[in-house]
Amino acid sequence: MQTKLQPLPAANQAILSVRNLSLHYFQRTVFERRIPVTALTNVSLDLIRGKTLALVGPSGCGKSSLARCLVLLEKPSFGEILYGGRNLLELKSKELKEVRRDIHLIFQDSASALNPGMTIEEVLLEPLEIHEPTLGKKNRFMRLVSACEQAALSSKWLTRRPDELSGGQRQRVAIARSLVARPKILILDEALSALDLSTQSQIANLLLELQREHSLTCLFITHDLRLARMLAHDVVAMKAGRISDSPPPSLLLTPDIHAKPTPVGVVSIAKDTENIRLQEMPSVNE
Amino acid sequence: MKQLAVRLGQRLLLLVGVSLCTFALLSAAPGNFFDDLKLNPQISPATVSALQAQYGANRPFPERYARWVESIFRGDWGYSLSYHCPVGGLVWQRARNTLLLTAFAVLLAWMLAIPWGIAEALYKGGWVDRTGELILALLLATPDVLFALLLLLLAARTGWFPTGGMSSSDVTQLSFAQRIGDLSRHLFLPVLALALTTLPILARHVRSAMIGVLDAPFLIAARGHGIPKSRLLYRHALPVALNSLISLFGFSVGSLLSISLLVEVILSWPGLGPLVIEAVLARDIYVVVAATMFSAVCLIAGNLLADFLLYCIDPRVRTAQS
Repeated sequence: MQTKLQPLPAANQAILSVRNLSLHYFQRTVFERRIPVTALTNVSLDLIRGKTLALVGPSGCGKSSLARCLVLLEKPSFGEILYGGRNLLELKSKELKEVRRDIHLIFQDSASALNPGMTIEEVLLEPLEIHEPTLGKKNRFMRLVSACEQAALSSKWLTRRPDELSGGQRQRVAIARSLVARPKILILDEALSALDLSTQSQIANLLLELQREHSLTCLFITHDLRLARMLAHDVVAMKAGRISDSPPPSLLLTPDIHAKPTPVGVVSIAKDTENIRLQEMPSVNE
Repeated sequence: MKQLAVRLGQRLLLLVGVSLCTFALLSAAPGNFFDDLKLNPQISPATVSALQAQYGANRPFPERYARWVESIFRGDWGYSLSYHCPVGGLVWQRARNTLLLTAFAVLLAWMLAIPWGIAEALYKGGWVDRTGELILALLLATPDVLFALLLLLLAARTGWFPTGGMSSSDVTQLSFAQRIGDLSRHLFLPVLALALTTLPILARHVRSAMIGVLDAPFLIAARGHGIPKSRLLYRHALPVALNSLISLFGFSVGSLLSISLLVEVILSWPGLGPLVIEAVLARDIYVVVAATMFSAVCLIAGNLLADFLLYCIDPRVRTAQS
């Protein structure tokens, strides 16, 4: 029997929990031999409502695979993804619609993540047309304007196409596309890595502001420990598809890190996100 | 507008080049229409010489070409030595039939190729894809002549379809609707033969274009935002895949016209095919040149149509050109 998703938990409680998630797949070679590949092994973590969890680790350690599993772009082999009191992996496609509205993934390469044939306005309106079809045309546009304002996206860009914007502008569009549907969880998969330092700091500040205003829960996937320290409340390290028992040494060496990790592999960072603001530099692209 | 004028100018130069090459090659080929007359003992050499002089066959190449160009402006497109009439009217009468056949064949081929290619791409590696690829490989390996002959055999054995021509003998007594039905029955086999010939190439292009788009990051991102599969396919993937397919559409118009000549001969469709074969055998040079020019014009028109469609569909092309 279909049961509805439970309401959001209180602040500082887990909004999404991953339990013993494993992902295996077969890779085909030139000669059609199927080689088994293990992307994730027994990964468990909690996303706390209104907080940012940074997921760090070297390239190929399974960070992006985990992100894709969380938005159900990949079907895990084993484990559970618990959200709203239900295991997402057991939901039917119709029931998943609500979950897809709540959990959004922002990719590293925003240039290729936006349809080159659509205008920015079409890109931004599409999630609303899908997730809130009953919303009137006027209300839809108001939501779009609101999302643009939140993502510091100028309205003059709405008629343009992705290839007419700079990298930073496209990343703002990607963020606005997620915000327009009013998600509860934002997964940023190396979303700032391809940007220059100035744009990186602008987008990072934007995320901090959004988190303050809307209690957004973020999973910040990066290999940039500096950014992880700046943005995240907790840090989880991954290594070879598993949650690593020991956090990266560079995180331990910084003075603002608590020495005692909460669960295995999780490092809590003591900081006051209310007062954080990264230093912005003038951008050459904007 | 300037772009259009430039493109039309380029295509006009191309047509001049095609006509010059065709003229030069036909002139360089050994023998001409009058050699057969020379073999006839009933025709004196003086008569043959007089005929050659009358039609300007003994003039140098540049003069003959200039005369031919002049005849284009009169609408004659040269004079057919076999049919004793201006080439323009003769070729156009047949070309209309060829165009009718090719238009329906292009339509049918694309109507089959698009869903076929999309289905294969969607189920890549599955049984739908493998079965589809096997059928396409069989179609690709079958020569065009064999297709036409098999369909002719089908028509002859079953009597379901007429074995040639484009109308029945009693067509004048039929009503308009019955005439359309009669034409459809006559069109069916040649159209099917042509469509099946090009189907494997088109379907494989559709498949590869769709596979390229279905794996694109923007489609994965859209899927992550909860966009339903049908919308992903028709709103996101297909318009992007159409770009490469539109270019192929222009090419398919021209290539089908070339293949149609053979099919027309075997299935006795009164198009350009039988006329061109007869003209080549009789060395009726102006008919061959006019038919070649017609093919070139169709190929160019197909490509221009593809450019226009691309301009209408892809906003990036419009942006780049403006």
